Amino acid sequence: MRIPRRVRLDFAAEVHRAPGTGAALCVAGLAAAIGVGLAFDAQLTERNRLDAELGAISRPHRAASPAALKQAEEAATIERELAVPWSQLLGELEAASHDLSSKVALLQVAPDAAKRSVEITAEVRSLPDALAYLERLQQSKVLRYPMLESHERKKDDPEHPVRVKLAAEWRT
Amino acid sequence: MSPLWRDEIAIYLAPRKIALARRERGMKPRVGAATEIAVPGGSIGDVRPAFARLAEVLAEPTWQDAAARVVIADPWARYGIVNWPATRLDGDARLTHARYVLADTFGDGVADWSVTLADTPPGRAAVACAMPGQLRSTLEDTLVAARLKLVSLQPQLIVAFNAWRHRLPPDDAWFVSLDEGSLSAVHLTDGAWDRVHMARLSADWMLELERLQAFGRLTRAAGAVGRMFVDAPVWMRSASTVRGSELEWLTDDGAPGDQAHELALLQRVYA
Repeated sequence: MRIPRRVRLDFAAEVHRAPGTGAALCVAGLAAAIGVGLAFDAQLTERNRLDAELGAISRPHRAASPAALKQAEEAATIERELAVPWSQLLGELEAASHDLSSKVALLQVAPDAAKRSVEITAEVRSLPDALAYLERLQQSKVLRYPMLESHERKKDDPEHPVRVKLAAEWRT
Repeated sequence: MSPLWRDEIAIYLAPRKIALARRERGMKPRVGAATEIAVPGGSIGDVRPAFARLAEVLAEPTWQDAAARVVIADPWARYGIVNWPATRLDGDARLTHARYVLADTFGDGVADWSVTLADTPPGRAAVACAMPGQLRSTLEDTLVAARLKLVSLQPQLIVAFNAWRHRLPPDDAWFVSLDEGSLSAVHLTDGAWDRVHMARLSADWMLELERLQAFGRLTRAAGAVGRMFVDAPVWMRSASTVRGSELEWLTDDGAPGDQAHELALLQRVYA
């Protein structure tokens, strides 16, 4: 059951007209709050300092060993090899050869993952066929900067084909 | 001894009777001494006999060197309900407003009386009380002589109501405080006072009892419960049981049966 409110009436203890006491209590409360805040801040700073010290102790900085460096290098090499777009590259070379009515015979495709370049060795019946193949590769969206590096007629072959070496970079 | 643990003397001051109880403080406060004394020649219109008798009693070391909580009998108090003012008033202006309300009810006789207001939340009506101006100054002079520091001065109705309020319903109920020669009645609505009446009683208690019952019936709204709770001395309650009554008497089952009403009231100062 709800209880009737207390009647606070007193001729001597007029608590509602004691601004001095109220102000003193307010000041004391604020001082206490500031004191607690400063103490908290000091404790927080100390805790952060100790955390930093603890972190330095538990995670010492160690120089990497030669074996670890070698492992890391091998891992990076494997990662680069895996990054070679083999399917696109071979598909594009095959398509170029097909466009020239198979006048080009691919002998070797040697990619260099570190340099993102590929070296192509092929045989054609004549040098103009090699240049046509080069022009076709220059239109490719997979390769850029295709260049003819060398060409050599194979005199020991009865049909005297021309062996050419091309170099290009692949796009990412 | 620390002032926080200073003993307290509770004093009930009435025109024809005074009562005192010394409360020893500490981890387990208890009443160390209590007494009730008649005031020969005392009357409502003259406070001097009561204070003269009080000064005699306070000459005893038992009643000295303590904090004093004083309860003034209702014949020396006037009550009123002061509505929350429509305009914002400071403390002094609110007291002036309360003095105007009391003068409107009781006449110019209370013009030079001391007035105080209950501490009330903003927007709610407040209880105002007045008592003779000379009473407080005379009281303080009397207490100082006995090295008593006045820490509380309350009228009887306030002390009785605060002590019994946990037994009262919050709505449509009367709380009546009776003593020899006076009646004070408070009506409760929404847990707060909304009406207060005072009356002098004649020596014929049986007649006054019938008037009280009639008062309860007349003020009861049609269909309302309108219960009436009465705080009164034991002898008045005994008389009422003979006549039968619609009144609900407030009794403390834990109090000693032979304890004087005034001393029981002083116990309730700490309620």
